Amino acid sequence: MPTIYETIFSTLLWAALSIAVVAIPGVGVAYALARKEFAGKHVLSTLTTLPLVLPPTAVGYLLLRLFADNGWLGKERIGFDLGVLFSWKAVVVACSVMSFPIFVRAARVAFEEVNPRLESVARTLGAGPWRVFVSVTLPLATRGLVAATLLGFARALGEFGATIVLAGNIPGRTQTLSSALFSAQQGGNDDRANQLLIVALLVGFATVYTTERLARKRLNGEGGQS
Amino acid sequence: MSVPDPVFRFRFRERLDRFDLDVALESAAPYLGVFGVSGSGKTTLLECIAGLRTGAAGEIAFFEQTWLDTSNGRSASAASRGIGYAPQDHLLFPHLSVQENLVYGKNRPGKTNTSSRVEFEDVVSVLELDALLDRSVVDLSGGEKQRVSLGRALCSNPQLLLLDEPMAALDAGLRRRILTYLVRVRERFAIPMIVVSHNPIELQTLCEEVLVLESGSVVESGRPNAVFTRPGVFAAAKRSGFENVLTGRVANRSGSSSLDPFELEGGGCCIHIPKTDVRIGDVASISIASDDILIGIEEPMGLSARNRIKATIERIEDLESHGIVHARIDDASAVVAVEITQESIESLALTPGKAVYLVFKSSSVSILCSR
Repeated sequence: MPTIYETIFSTLLWAALSIAVVAIPGVGVAYALARKEFAGKHVLSTLTTLPLVLPPTAVGYLLLRLFADNGWLGKERIGFDLGVLFSWKAVVVACSVMSFPIFVRAARVAFEEVNPRLESVARTLGAGPWRVFVSVTLPLATRGLVAATLLGFARALGEFGATIVLAGNIPGRTQTLSSALFSAQQGGNDDRANQLLIVALLVGFATVYTTERLARKRLNGEGGQS
Repeated sequence: MSVPDPVFRFRFRERLDRFDLDVALESAAPYLGVFGVSGSGKTTLLECIAGLRTGAAGEIAFFEQTWLDTSNGRSASAASRGIGYAPQDHLLFPHLSVQENLVYGKNRPGKTNTSSRVEFEDVVSVLELDALLDRSVVDLSGGEKQRVSLGRALCSNPQLLLLDEPMAALDAGLRRRILTYLVRVRERFAIPMIVVSHNPIELQTLCEEVLVLESGSVVESGRPNAVFTRPGVFAAAKRSGFENVLTGRVANRSGSSSLDPFELEGGGCCIHIPKTDVRIGDVASISIASDDILIGIEEPMGLSARNRIKATIERIEDLESHGIVHARIDDASAVVAVEITQESIESLALTPGKAVYLVFKSSSVSILCSR
């Protein structure tokens, strides 16, 4: 059995990897939902929210079908084995899918809070779409995006349902903080369960506290209220 | 005589909630004013010209450049139009310092002002921004924000300035200062500008031509003094502070007097104005309300009013209960609008061509700005 530190370390690592996977497509989708009008916007918005309302085990099962040998991303279809199922990659995939909706929702709000007229002024000053995004939109949305990252990270840390279906609960291989706590409690190992509980509480508190602080101090665009 | 090429050619329409903005106008005046009450479509007009509204349909051209021509599917992007836009609410970038705001558009691609390059140092000195450069824009005062916004537009070396209510939301003293800055900018950089305002005096001071916007349509256009005294416009212009604006320079002052002599453009005529801090010889603008002036058909004697000026009536405009007498000051180019009752016009038998005296107290004169 891995030590409690090993479990904490791998859980933090996998959660960090998940949010790294989510960040770039998440920013893209959030920006499109906040600023662009396009056909199918509501469908996209609904699809990105879906993992939030489905039972996590259902999402896990869906992913299992996807990565199974005969699934769309299975070795029979694509010609080689991605080696996802019941490996650390499965943990990252499950955590990414489950934290994506939270990240996108928070990032979308961050972009919506940037006064679009500041972007208009930047355009009149000769800035093309990319420069407007990088020099005005992104810096003004930074706090909100950091908050989105932390929320997504926290969601990934606590992920259980989808992970256990896709990755299992293999100590030293795919066991996370939440599945380790589950095993300890089920196995009557109260000491270990209590230790894991305290860690979960501390990490959760620190994340939400930081997110709240960031949200309160969010930089507002001048003229945003007028 | 050849007709000058138009600077602006607008023929476009944009849907708004309550009405359509529908503008058809050609103007050869590089300093164009847009007057109208709030909600008349002034800001929308500027946004269409700047290329910030995708719904505008029709034609927008500036000199030989066509920015919008929807019949040919042409629409230049906002970034390529080479415009310096100073919006009413400033919209400074809150995450950047004053200096970073100023240089944001400095090396823009596309069309820019080709006749002379606007240098950063010039802008900073004309607008007196030295002390502000390292400050955050968030805690600037209203007047400072206005100057930075104007400076940011200028530093992008624009070929056209769009100024939206540059003096709204400022108190009277600051308005005078900003007006002085704007006049300086016009003199120093000579960049064509469109100024939107609900204050006639600003437009009279800055612009050569004014158009009046009402519910999205241009109802009048022409020289500022003429437009503001037209029957359909005068009431609104007067409510918004219309006064006669005259340009001239402070002449040699005698030490002890509480008044300064002010020589009108064109020479010859001298007006007594309250003592000012304007230097002798400096060009300045002054204003006199149209109902602060009396008309006499003979030289009035034994009055306390210091100003008794010979003028000739050019035309008389009938309003409902009043008339506006336009009188050209003899030996000067200025035409002054005087508001008097119909009864007075009849009893004095005022007609165009008649020689009259304009009488007003020197305390009725305010100094708007110097350059």
